[in-house]
Amino acid sequence: MDASVTALLVDGLWLMVTGLTIVFVFLLMLVGLLDLMSKAVARWGPQEPQPEAVAQALPPTGDDARLTAVITAAIQQYRARHRA
Amino acid sequence: MDALLTLWQSTGIANLTWREGIMLLVGCGLIYLAIAKRFEPLLLVPIGFGTLLSNIPVAGIGGPDGMIGMIYAIGVETGIFPLLIFLGIGAMTDFGALIARPSTLLLGAAAQFGIFATLIGALALNLLPGFQFSLADAAAIGIIGGADGPTAIFLASRLAPDLLGAIAVAAYSYMALVPIIQPPIMRALTTPAERAIVMEQLRPVTRLERILFPFMVLLLCALLLPSAAPLIGMLTFGNLLRESGVVDRLSRAAQNEIINVVTILLGLAIGSKLSGELFLTPQTLGILLLGAIAFSIGTASGVLMGKIMCWVTGGKVNPLIGAAGVSAVPMSARVVNKVGLEANHHNFLLMHAMGPNVAGVIGSAVAAGVLLALVSG
Repeated sequence: MDASVTALLVDGLWLMVTGLTIVFVFLLMLVGLLDLMSKAVARWGPQEPQPEAVAQALPPTGDDARLTAVITAAIQQYRARHRA
Repeated sequence: MDALLTLWQSTGIANLTWREGIMLLVGCGLIYLAIAKRFEPLLLVPIGFGTLLSNIPVAGIGGPDGMIGMIYAIGVETGIFPLLIFLGIGAMTDFGALIARPSTLLLGAAAQFGIFATLIGALALNLLPGFQFSLADAAAIGIIGGADGPTAIFLASRLAPDLLGAIAVAAYSYMALVPIIQPPIMRALTTPAERAIVMEQLRPVTRLERILFPFMVLLLCALLLPSAAPLIGMLTFGNLLRESGVVDRLSRAAQNEIINVVTILLGLAIGSKLSGELFLTPQTLGILLLGAIAFSIGTASGVLMGKIMCWVTGGKVNPLIGAAGVSAVPMSARVVNKVGLEANHHNFLLMHAMGPNVAGVIGSAVAAGVLLALVSG
């Protein structure tokens, strides 16, 4: 076997070990960071509006109010869906 | 008589060499594959036509003063085209599945093993006569295993510009062959029971998380691996345009107009690298062969990582989704879905496979950054 090729292969193996280690470390840290972010958002972030809750919050007085409630719920649902 | 002779000597027929002849046929072959077989038509049509144009004798369209040659110098040599494509990919990609289950990033990391294994393979080819790959060449060839066209072009333009044509063609043709290459490997490495595992539904992701996500990725990249910052930076910028929800016009431009224009120009420029002297060499054959190996190893290591995760979580993860860790968005996720449906007709894995799939994009960009940092220095 050619000595220079052997040296190159050793270089390559070294590159593989360090490269894969860095890729794994990077992505593992990203996993941790994303977990932290999600927890922080769940704890301190704004509440996503709940469509049902809003619909129930409106007092059911008369037909107009019920209609408003239905429309509000529909709009909320539409917005929630299109935010995704 | 002399005038006639001069005229004859300026014709294409008189100047056509056998290499150009073969490359004209290759160009036609690529266009045929795109139109008749629907293999990555968005890329193969421009690449094929670029090949035709740049192998027209005398015209020199692909040369340094030719039209395509200049496009190449502006967009590919500088690395700008692949970066603009990354902007578009960022604007098109929904990272929701990844945010809901970050652990799938590990699958995207495992699939990058294909890159490094191929790097060794390319160096080992030096033992055969006719091959002389340097470490930089081998790194550029290995990135084919990342199954990510723009990343491969970006890295090749930095590390091995001479091999760019062969590497780009290999990267994109294997992306088209994902549905053929992957399933046998996935079936060989998993049991029918594992393939039938039904996964829990993903939790909904809030808007704030989606907006913060690009910053998290960019932050880590800036802290740990600045050499990957061009790729990751454009990807996260595109994604922020999408998720911020206030710049719809820019987001749509990145997803449509910009990426389309760049795809045309990039295709033509790559086609110009498919010229006889550069392409018809034993190296090209070696690169095409190594590319297939890279893909297979990447798929296999992704699935094996999936098996490990399946075992660790007590059977909650379907190992098949590991195969989507090679990027090739969204083709490999669809392949996972299809193979999963074969084992269990009610098991839709598409959304679960999108997590590792987009993780693969980040993973191969990170791997490219590592190679840039370690090899070019």
